[in-house]
This record gives sequence, C-alpha cells and structure tokens, in this order.
Amino acid sequence: MRRPRLLLALLALAGAIATGATAATSADPGITAKTILVGGTTPLSGSASAYASVARGANAYFKYVNARGGVNGRTIAYKFVDDGYDPARTVQATRQLVEQDKVFAIFNSLGTEHNAAIRDYLNAAKVPQLFVASGATTFGRDFKQYPWTIGFQPSYRAEGWIYGKYLARTKPGAKIGVLFQNDDYGKDLMAGLKQGIARSKVKVVAAQPFDVTSPDVQSQISRLKASGANVLALFATPRHAIQGYVFANRLGWRPLIINNAVSSASNIMTLAAEGGTNKAVENSVSIVFLKDPTDAKWRNDAAVRLYRSIMSRYARGANQKDVYHVYGMAVAYEFAKVLKAAGKNPTRASVMAQTRKLNDPANPFLLPGLTIKTSATERFPIEQALLQRWSKGSWKSFGGLWGYRAG
Amino acid sequence: MAEFFQQVVAGLATGAIFAALALALVLIHRATGVINFAQGEMAMFTTYIAWTLTANHGWSYWPAFAATLVLAFLLGVGLQRVVIRPIERASILTTVIVTIGLVLIFNGLAGLIWSAEVRAFPSPFPNDTWEVGGVAISQQDVGTFGVVLVMVTVLWAFFQFTKTGLALRASALNPDASRLVGVRVGWMLAIGWGLAAVLGAVAGMMTAPTVFLDPNMMQAVLIYAFAAAVLGGIDSPFGAVAGGLMLGVGLNLIGTYIDFVGAGLRLPVALLIILVVLLVKPAGLFGKAVTRRV
Amino acid sequence: MKRADLYRVGVFLLAVAAVLYLPQLRWVSDFRAQQFAYVAIYFIALLGLNVLTGYTGQISLGHGAFMAIGGYTTAILISEQGLKIGGHTFASDMKDVWTIPLAGVVAGLAGFLFGFPALRLTGLYLALATFAIAVAMPGLLKYERFEAFTGGGGGINLFGIPGLTGALEGVTIPVIDRTISFNEWLYYLCWTVALVMFALAWVLLRGKIGRSLRAVRDSELAAASSGVNLATYKTLAFGISAFYAGVAGSLLAIATSFVNPDTYPITLSIFLLVGVVVGGLGSLWPLVFGAIFIQFLPLWAQEVSKAQGAPAVVYGVILILVMLALPGGAGGLLRRLQSLTSRGYHRDR
Repeated sequence: MRRPRLLLALLALAGAIATGATAATSADPGITAKTILVGGTTPLSGSASAYASVARGANAYFKYVNARGGVNGRTIAYKFVDDGYDPARTVQATRQLVEQDKVFAIFNSLGTEHNAAIRDYLNAAKVPQLFVASGATTFGRDFKQYPWTIGFQPSYRAEGWIYGKYLARTKPGAKIGVLFQNDDYGKDLMAGLKQGIARSKVKVVAAQPFDVTSPDVQSQISRLKASGANVLALFATPRHAIQGYVFANRLGWRPLIINNAVSSASNIMTLAAEGGTNKAVENSVSIVFLKDPTDAKWRNDAAVRLYRSIMSRYARGANQKDVYHVYGMAVAYEFAKVLKAAGKNPTRASVMAQTRKLNDPANPFLLPGLTIKTSATERFPIEQALLQRWSKGSWKSFGGLWGYRAG
Repeated sequence: MAEFFQQVVAGLATGAIFAALALALVLIHRATGVINFAQGEMAMFTTYIAWTLTANHGWSYWPAFAATLVLAFLLGVGLQRVVIRPIERASILTTVIVTIGLVLIFNGLAGLIWSAEVRAFPSPFPNDTWEVGGVAISQQDVGTFGVVLVMVTVLWAFFQFTKTGLALRASALNPDASRLVGVRVGWMLAIGWGLAAVLGAVAGMMTAPTVFLDPNMMQAVLIYAFAAAVLGGIDSPFGAVAGGLMLGVGLNLIGTYIDFVGAGLRLPVALLIILVVLLVKPAGLFGKAVTRRV
Repeated sequence: MKRADLYRVGVFLLAVAAVLYLPQLRWVSDFRAQQFAYVAIYFIALLGLNVLTGYTGQISLGHGAFMAIGGYTTAILISEQGLKIGGHTFASDMKDVWTIPLAGVVAGLAGFLFGFPALRLTGLYLALATFAIAVAMPGLLKYERFEAFTGGGGGINLFGIPGLTGALEGVTIPVIDRTISFNEWLYYLCWTVALVMFALAWVLLRGKIGRSLRAVRDSELAAASSGVNLATYKTLAFGISAFYAGVAGSLLAIATSFVNPDTYPITLSIFLLVGVVVGGLGSLWPLVFGAIFIQFLPLWAQEVSKAQGAPAVVYGVILILVMLALPGGAGGLLRRLQSLTSRGYHRDR
C-alpha cells in the first residue's frame, strides 16, 4: 500500500523545494529573530480534560529548551487553548490562533474529529498542522490532499494490526471479543485488528460498542463473555478500559486481555489491579512506544531522569507518573529537532519539508530502537512498537519490534 | 436464560445507584421545585473527600464513610444558605442556572485539587462472586444494593417518624401554613439540601469503586438519575427508587435483546420509552397528577 | 403606527447602523468580527428559546438538538455528497445562504411535531423530554444506518466546498462589488440574519400571538377561558422556537464549516438556557447580553488561569455572581432602571 513510488516521490520533493524557495522570500507569521510562536488546542475542561497533560508536558519541555537558549537562538512560545473537546470550539480557537495570535504553526492539537475539523482550513491557509495528537489513520494516509498535516503517534490501525498478527501467530484458536468505543478511534483499532487476523484461524466472535457518555460497560462485558470469546480486546479510553477489567473479573471471566496503548500506562494498570482485579490484569498484552515513567526499568534512564527534573522545575505540582506528559515531551522534542533542522530562517514550508524527511532513531522519550521516520510517500512518523505483557505489577516487553505492514 | 438473569442482576446494581441520586433530586424538588443540576458533581466532590481521608490520611473505610456523610450534609446546608437562599424569590429558572454554576465550580475545583487523573476508590465489600445457577452475582453489587436500600429506609423512617421529618414534609407541602405553626421553613429547606447531599455522597461512594473516581464520574449517572426520577414521578420518593431500578435493568435488557439497538442506541431508545411512558402518565409512573382548582 | 413604535423603529435602525459600522472600528480586528458573528448566532438561538421559555413558560433543555437539525440540514444540502435516498441524489451544491431558511423550516417542523406530545407535559417533565432529545441526538447522528446522511462520528466537513460562500480569499459581494474577508463575511451574514430574525420576533410578539403566548404562561386556565387555544399556541411556540434554533444551527455549521455530533453537545443546550436567563426571560434585545456572555466568558475564563479545572471555576463563580446580582438577567435590570427613570409610566413589555 505504501511502497515508495519513485516518480511521485520526486514530484513531491520538487514541489516541496519549490514552495520552500518561494516562501522563503517573505517571513512567515509567528517568527522573529528571537521567538517562534506555535499554538494548539487541547481539552482543559470537560470530560476529556485528562488529556491536557500532553500539552502541559510539551510546554514544560519547551520551557526547558528556552532556558537553554532555545533553538537556533529562538525561544519557543507554545500557546495551548481550551476547546472543551468540542470540535466547533476547536475551529474557533484555531482560527483565533492563526488569525489573531498569528502562530507560525498549529502544533499537537488533540483529538481525531477536532483535527479533522480544522484540517481543510489549515491546509487552505498553508499553516502547518504539526504532529496531530490522534492516531487516526487519515492523518498519515491522506497527505496528498493535505500536505500541511502530519501525525505523530502510531496509528490506531497499525496498533490493531499488531494485536491481530500477534494473536494469529501465537494463539491460532483465539476467539476475540472486542469492547470498542463507538467512534473513529475504536473503529480504526477494530479495522486494524481485523486486517491483522485476515487469512488466519483467529476470529472476532463478538464486538460490543459503547458510548463515551455511558456510565459503565457491565452489560457489554457480560455479552462478550456469553459469546464464548477467550480473548478480550479493550479498545477504550482509560475509564472504560479499567471497567472492562473490573467487570470481567466480577463475572469470573478470565480471557487473555488486550488493552490498547491509550489506556495501558502503568499507573492505569495499577489502578485496575487496585480495583481488586489482580488476576484479571495479570498477563494483559499491550503495545508500547514511550518510556513509561513508572516502569522500574527506566528508573535510572537518563531521559526519564531528565523528564523528572523538567517536570519538577517547569510543571510544578503535576503528576509525574502520568505518561501523557512523556508523550508531550516526546512530541515537543521532535518539534524542536525539526525546527533546528529547518535552519536559521525557517519558514512554514521549510519546516513542513523537514517533517517529510524525518529520520530520528534517538528521540530519548521513545523506546530505544524506535525510529521516527517519514518520507515523501510515507507520513506515519512512528510505525513501530514493542509488545509488552503485564506481570506482577509491571510491564515486561517481549519479542522484537513490530512494524506495520499492510496486507 | 442465564444471560437474562445476568443482565438483570447487573442492572439492579447500576439501578440502585441511579435510584440514590434520583432520590436526592426528588428531595430537593419536592421542597423547592428546583432540579439541582449540581447533585451529581456534589456527589463526586464528596466522594473525593472520602478518597482523601482513606488514601492520604489513612482512615479506614467506614469511619471515612461516616465522616463524608456528615461533611456532605454540612456542604448541602451551607450551599442552600449561601447561594440558594438569596435568590429564593427569583424565578425557579434562576435557581436552576445557579445550580449549573455549581456544576462548573465543583467539577473545576475537583480538577484543581485532585487533578483529572482517574483514581481507584476502595470498596468495603469483597471482590468475589457467588455463582447461582450459572449467574455470577458480584458481592460488590449486592453490597451496593444493600447500602442504598438501608439509606433509603433510614431516610423514609426519618421522614415518617421524627418531628423534624414531619416539619420537613410540612414545609415542602405548604410553606406558608408551616410558618404559621412555627416551623422554621428556611432551615427545613437547608436540611433538605443537606439530606440530598448525603444521598448523593452515598451514590458517589458506591459508584466510585466500579467506575473509578475522576471529576466527570457522575455526569452520565446524573442524566440517568434525572430520567429515573421523572420516570417514577418527580415528586415521589418511592417512584425515584423504582424508576432507578427499572432504568438500570431496562437499559441492560434493551442492549441485550433488541438487536438493532446495540449499545450505540441504548440511551436514545431508553429515553424514547420514558417519553412514551410520560405521554401515558404525564406525572410519571408513581407521581400524583396535579389537579387544579378553578 | 403608534408614536412609541416609531421610536422603537428608530432605535432599531440605529442598531442596524451600529452593527454595520462595528467592524470598521479599529479595536474590532478581523478575527473579532468572527467572534461577534458567533454572538449573532447565539442571539438568534436565544430569541427562539425565549419565545418558548420566556413567553410561554415552557422550559427546554433540548434546543441544541434543534440547532443540530438545522446545522445538519445545511451541511447535507451543501456538501458534495448530497442526500442519497435509494439511488437518488437530492441535489446538492446548493449555496449555503439558501439553505438557512430551509434549515429553519426543517427544524421548525421537527419542533412543531415535538410540540404535540409535549402538550401533555409540563414543567420538569417537559424539561426532561426536551433534554432527552439533546441527549439522544449525538447517538442518533452517529448511528451506522444514518451514516450515509450524517457522516457518522466523523461528521461532514464543509470547508472549501463550492457550496460554502466563505473562503480564505475573501468574498465578493455582488451588488456593491466589494471584496470582504472571510470573517467579515461571517459577521455580516450572521448579523443580517440576526437583525431580520429580531425584527420578526418583535413584530410577532407584540401582536396577538405574543399576547396569547404570555397569557398561556401567566395562567393556562385564564388564557383558555378567554378563548386562547392552548394546544395551538403551545405547539406554535415550539415550532417558532425550533425554527429560530434551526437557523442558528445552520449559521453555526456555516461559520464552523464543520458539523459532527459533538459540535452540538448537551452542554450547548444547557448554556442556551443560561444565556436566556442571563439575558432576561421575556426580554428581546437584552438577549444580546446573554449571547455575549456565553460566547466570551469561556474564552475569558481561561485567560485567568489554565490550571486544571480553573477555567470552569471562574466561569461558575461569575455565573453565580451574575445571578445573585441580577436575578432577572440583563433584561430585568433594564426594566428596573426604566421604571426608576420613568416612574408611573408603564410601558407594556
């Protein structure tokens, strides 16, 4: 599906150079000799406000960079504004950032529908929409239509695919029951899973959707159990994923549980275990691409130590166990790196051109061995992950790196 | 058949929580004609207090539970005195808007104090299940159900057999006449708010072990409680409890047995059914129809 | 025309002039024009909700749902995919402006129909019934079998499609042959519609309909016994009210150039009610203050502090303080001031 096609690659490259060259003559908004201003939206209020940690982590990292002289002599100002997780407000806030605050780029805005709502506008205005905080496939796949947009995290489809392949290889008789959030995120994971188990004996025997607004998922889990599934896939955000464990345990059901990466941080797993469900949590499988700050094996890791010191200095009072902060730092690190690579006089176009040739095997906040890589025809920055198994209170990774290959 | 009973048992536990919060709504509505939108957020907030007592101050469960109920009562009384009483004479909608303001404040404060992170909340009941004829009955669910039942009974006895209870009922029914016979109606309203907050705290502390604690924990529950209260009849305490249980069981059965519904349309269909019920019985299942004298 | 009416028409014309002139002021940046466009949208929705809640005394917690109906009508009519029913594509590439009245009519019809079962419900039961529509609406819009129309959870993106008049390059107004920016276009479009809707509401409510609706609110019995047909006026109020909501929803879709189930959340319905009460139940033009309140307070609240939860606390505290200080909303305050300045001279509301 994404095999490089030479002609297209050349065309895209030529286009990039051309636009870069013309844009360089006039300075873009949001950038001066001393500063660069980027902005983004995030839910600071409402039901999704736990995700605000991503923006706060990124902000703390920029402050750290600024304290050390910034990037090419420029300090990075990052203005993140609340959208209450309502796409209509995302649109308003983004237009305000672009038209009133005159940001150089939109960076790290959070949410699938939210980014989809502003994508056409940003592309028409030729404002970079950098490192979208959503794993929806469209942000990496549809780059021809949206050259000013790029994602960051592994796509949900790739993640689902990895689980599917893993089951097909190691548990040929698996019957999967899926609990999925009834939106693009849940459906993308599900589509990837189905793609991964294609042409194998593994089957999805039941799939139960739930709405983010529902108080609990008891009825769904009970139906999944009744379907005779022996694998339970939790394609849900933390609250409902934890409930998946709790209710499976209450029903005395002991399937192999697959928990998606949005909800598999150690602190969340520990919570699920504290809910008295140790046995249900044990041997869960998930993917991982970030260094989890609560994981004992990173206790003395240089990057995690840096993470802690940045947090205590620039995000005082924030919960350092929250892995979303690490995600924010990883994405902020990559942005700083792109900015540096774009040279002394970066333009919107030249920054965008840099995001099309990422090749960074050393983002310190990601697992060692992971490479952030893009090309003219391949716009999924992180496509690799490790599988990990929860055992006696912590995640243990196993096997080699999984890289998503369609088909 | 086992699945049917499984869904019913699961529904009863969820329903008990809806019932507790619905009852809190009914209490305040009966006394003041106001729907307290902040009931859910107050419940969440008091649950955080219980969490702080157990997790940060090392209290054991039942003392923390009791202390939380006392604090919840004071919170309810205080709110009525400070923000509700001054606008007593304004339209009911003004009061409703003030409770919406309280929703924002409690939700925000919880985030400000305890962050939006999801937390585990202890439960006094063991996490085991009983197997009865292929149906797994969770001891947690049984405990939740029992606690709510006890609370409702105590409350009912309080209203029925104590002098304060009588005064409370009187001032809700006819404030002017009560004033004439020496009931301090203003304080009775405050006590009503306090008791409602206590019920909410129970609902919150029973919800949290299952859905886990975060600032948005009670938002969905409040919508269901509202529906349950109206289904049962907004002025009928018994109706609130029955409505909550019916809603809990009904939601599960709809999702299980009506195939096109699935989980996606569970809520719309449940609401549609409630609407139909209301069209037949406009004052809810157990509410008394208002008769007006000309 | 009475003398007082002439005076009012004069004030209205002054308001029109002010609205037209506002974007020329220097402190109103191009972007602010867009924010004020949203004020106009909320103003329209509040006018409609006020017909129901302020004039007829029926509480609706579901006007966000009628806005959603209007917004989706516009989105489906102008989006390129169009409305497909059984192989027929019901034409699209309609211009957005023409869909505004249609959106109003569709929503109005929905409201009118909803008004019939609502006849049996009063007070909180009605509030719940309307709340139920708002709660159920996102689920319905996401439902798989409607996805062909609604685009499911992903919604419908309108930016850059031919049906949308607004574009980044600006908009050329045909008659005066002037090009204005996207934001100015939104401003003028929304405020033009808002002023028309305002005038309509004023004409409607000062006559027989308004009197009858107020009679229904004050005492259904008295109204009925003096010959007001309760059923007609209550369903009519629902219809009118939903028509306004539909128009507002349509404009919201155009201004946001995107619709999905989350763009018309439950909180929208609740904040519309907040706006009506802050503006003043039973008032007309003071509702502008309600609209300004719900548009700008969330933006301003997060300027105070961005800490977790802090904007909500600021918003909540201000809302309560406003209610404590002005239990009758802006309209109530103005009425009080008016009665102070012209003691003994009673104007009808």
